[in-house]
Amino acid sequence: MPLLLLGVATMAFLLSNFVKGDPLASILNERQMDNPQVVAAAKARWGLDKPIPERYAIYLANLAQGDLGVSFRTKRPVMRDLLDRLPATLELVFAAMVFGSVAGTAIGVVAAHWRNGPIDHGARLVALIGSSVPVFWSSLIALYIFSVKLAWVPGPGRLDAALAAPPPVTGFYTVDALIAGDWGTFLNALSYLVLPAIMLGWAVMGIISRMIRASMLDVMQQDFIMTARAKGAGTWRILLRHALRNAMVPALTIIGFSFAYLVTGAILTETVFSWPGIGSYAVNAARSLDHPAIIGVTLLGALAFLIANLATDIAYVFANPRIRLS
Amino acid sequence: MAPEIRRKPRPGSALGLLAAAAVTTLALAVPSQAQAQGDTIVIARDTDFNTLDPSRSWCDSCQIYLTAVYDQLVRIGKDNETLEPRLASEWSVSDDGKTYSFTLDPKATFSDGSPVEAGDVAFSLMRLKTLKAGASFLADGIESIDTPDAKTVVVHLAAPDPEFLGKVSSPYGAIVNADLVKEHGGTAGPDADKTDQGEAWLLENSAGSGAYVLESYRPDDELRLAANPNYWREAPAAGAIVMREVQDAVSQMQMLQSGGADIAMQIDPDTAETVGSPDVVTELVPSFNFVYIALSPGAKDLEVPLGPKVREAIGLAIDYDGLLEVTTGGAADLIASPVPTGFPGTKDLPMPAQDVDKARALLAEAGLGDGFTLVAAYPETNIYGVDLTIMMQKVQQDLAKVNIDVKLEPVTFAVWRERVGGDHIPLTAVYYAPDYYGSGQYANYFGMVPESPWYGRAGGETAEGLANGRMAELLEEVRTAAPEDAAELYHEMALEMIADRVIIPLVNPKLVLAYRKGIEGVRYAVCCNLPLEELSKQ
Repeated sequence: MPLLLLGVATMAFLLSNFVKGDPLASILNERQMDNPQVVAAAKARWGLDKPIPERYAIYLANLAQGDLGVSFRTKRPVMRDLLDRLPATLELVFAAMVFGSVAGTAIGVVAAHWRNGPIDHGARLVALIGSSVPVFWSSLIALYIFSVKLAWVPGPGRLDAALAAPPPVTGFYTVDALIAGDWGTFLNALSYLVLPAIMLGWAVMGIISRMIRASMLDVMQQDFIMTARAKGAGTWRILLRHALRNAMVPALTIIGFSFAYLVTGAILTETVFSWPGIGSYAVNAARSLDHPAIIGVTLLGALAFLIANLATDIAYVFANPRIRLS
Repeated sequence: MAPEIRRKPRPGSALGLLAAAAVTTLALAVPSQAQAQGDTIVIARDTDFNTLDPSRSWCDSCQIYLTAVYDQLVRIGKDNETLEPRLASEWSVSDDGKTYSFTLDPKATFSDGSPVEAGDVAFSLMRLKTLKAGASFLADGIESIDTPDAKTVVVHLAAPDPEFLGKVSSPYGAIVNADLVKEHGGTAGPDADKTDQGEAWLLENSAGSGAYVLESYRPDDELRLAANPNYWREAPAAGAIVMREVQDAVSQMQMLQSGGADIAMQIDPDTAETVGSPDVVTELVPSFNFVYIALSPGAKDLEVPLGPKVREAIGLAIDYDGLLEVTTGGAADLIASPVPTGFPGTKDLPMPAQDVDKARALLAEAGLGDGFTLVAAYPETNIYGVDLTIMMQKVQQDLAKVNIDVKLEPVTFAVWRERVGGDHIPLTAVYYAPDYYGSGQYANYFGMVPESPWYGRAGGETAEGLANGRMAELLEEVRTAAPEDAAELYHEMALEMIADRVIIPLVNPKLVLAYRKGIEGVRYAVCCNLPLEELSKQ
């Protein structure tokens, strides 16, 4: 893993440094960019006056100590920026995964049981819309309907402006509010979380429901299901206890990989819902050629994917005891 | 509390699973509590903070912050024109125009209760100059500052500058509590650009004497201000201001409609027209911002020379009225010169008008009747409600009528910056908002004189005959001119810039003020976009 991360860091460093564009554009104002004195001062301050190999060596030396540098844009340490924003993204992604997995599994089981009926067709339509409609568009429509027209949920943001964020423990506002025993803040944070999580998790729900449906139909043809029926087990017991557990194994792969989708989808969702997470940070970093922030986000993304793959492998073992990690 | 959230389906019931998903979804959708409450005013804005350190700041959001949290020596009044006392209760200028003396208001105190003294002013202005960052050019002319006593500041300039008061009235002329900033690494010494460490502290704390103090700042999330308990002037009506990061205009409007925000700051005219809520007020007001195209006769990537006749032809080929319609739906004004209408010297300037026949004739005279190709690279952005791509597509259509084939190349700002300063760009588009009230900033920035940024970008060092001698004379004359004569000189400078046809202003967009009913004091100010201390909530 360290070698992989070193490779990612090197690629990100090289790409961000060789991409067309002047990073001073994010440091200096347009009026000052033609002032040689100001340009020289800015280059010296941010180390941009040094040759790239020297900058790379300094970067790696700092990285080894956990120092990702200072963001050109926010002027704060990138590590701090990432740690400030990561909980917001993880809270959104986890909530979206929970919604997508639970709702997708439920719909998949029901669609398999009543296959080719109206429920199955309806589930297919929901899945199709979820995976084909651009999330920024569906999010804006959902905001208009559920926030502006129906006032069921608040608008963009993470918490009411009048409320203070709960004392940070995990960085998840919902969890931290519960830990603090502050139900008002918990419900408020939850009300802000529900719509972006549903919109982000919708596509995953669609994919999982189709995967569960197909697996369920396959499993339901197998001998042990016949045996369970012969022993007099009820329909729902067969579906949930016997069939679903086996059908979950391929779906776990999708749930694991959906993490990748959710993290990338979060970029757009965070922008529409003004969710202060890694996604919006990445967009702003890329727009302003903020080298330290771009490399930091890239490294964090690589790390997240590695951990997600590992977690998926471990989940296999729990879902199917015949699989062993070697 | 919301017992449905914890309700579990009976094991073995698939319908229960579905029901759980539905119930959870609905139960979570608790009624909105998002109404901004009490005397807290919530502003939805696509913020562009580059820092909160006054001497390193440079952005529209910074201007709002710096006038709310800090005071300047003087400030522009509500008429967007007249200078009014702030920290300085009186001031005078020497006969040679090189020495400005300020007497500080004895009542002025910082938010920690300590008095504002001459040393604080000297430290703040010198730090602005020596950091060589942010708006340091505003203080470039300062040679030295004397502080004969705690309440008197004497600023010596290297050369006369009739706009010096305008410059110190800018938000970047913010006066900081010198002791506090020094204690946290700030310095105003000659090597401040290498040694100053004050920014990290100023990103989390404020050290001003303004109506508000910084409570917290989370980049890309929110800026929270609280009323200054030791404010030396009339206390602001709102106890707290929260500036929420909302990038998208539609999201800003939805937040306003749902009550999640009290003020939305970047609603474009098209979005404003979609407002159906009786609780939301929208107003269109004139602004001093403008969007322009610029020609570079010295660009490397030129197919034909962009001589005076060709530049004039390009200016005449453009359908200015059509551009206002296409870019803002008509919610904009024409602008005569690269100086905003309303600034000194802009009265009675001739407005641009399309004349395709004359444009064709000029091109024919230049031997280019059959046309040519022009590369147009510009930052791909939407600024002040104007989408530069849409604007440039209209310019492309207009120039096609005189056989000029414009190749559009939308690029990121970082790439644009590299190209405009490197090989230069034959035709580009960009924008400008005032730094302070005064026409000198425009003459010095856009005028075809060797020191101006646009002279360099237009390739003045290689393009023959681009330097405007009369412009240089006028800039010299205005240094020592009486204020009543300065406007006349700026008028002549505006005419010179129109004749140069290097900078062709196209759109002066109106600003949409959008806020909820009951919010008072929302106005566009040349000093700072939105003066927060004037806001109140009924």
